[in-house]
Amino acid sequence: SGSPTDFLKGVVGKRVVVRLTSGVDYRGVLSCLDGYMNIALEQTEEHVNGRVINRYGDAFIRGNNGVLIPSQPEP
Amino acid sequence: MDTSSAGIQEPFDLIRLSLNERVFVKLRGDRELTGVLHAYDGHMNLIMSAVEETIMIVDPAEGGQGSVNYVKRKMDMLFVRGDGVILVSPPSRT
Repeated sequence: SGSPTDFLKGVVGKRVVVRLTSGVDYRGVLSCLDGYMNIALEQTEEHVNGRVINRYGDAFIRGNNGVLIPSQPEP
Repeated sequence: MDTSSAGIQEPFDLIRLSLNERVFVKLRGDRELTGVLHAYDGHMNLIMSAVEETIMIVDPAEGGQGSVNYVKRKMDMLFVRGDGVILVSPPSRT
């Protein structure tokens, strides 16, 4: 059994996808996050319709905008 | 300045380290800002100066010939309400 808190502890430092309700994905390495799901990402790529349209070295994403999904490294 | 996360304990540290630097901000409503970040709070309300706002206007025309226009405007000082903020990134580190 795992609580949301356990999930959040285990996913720091891993590659994740932040999926916004608008349909935009942000893929990067999770630096840290807080209880509101505000997220700090490194090596961030912005994906729309499966294509990379932007890259950010560091990105702060406001937590209310979407969901956090663990991802496998891109091949 | 390297992008190591050693100095960042929580996401707001990333914002704090960006004070007085140029940042890129993505807002709801297909808007983007670049400007110097002077202040922020826990709601992500922001105070910025020397701001350029880019608004993306999609014009869906008949026959699938829609076009995208960009409207830009500049402001010396700006207060951004936090609930519209999606993403903040320091552009110098991209």
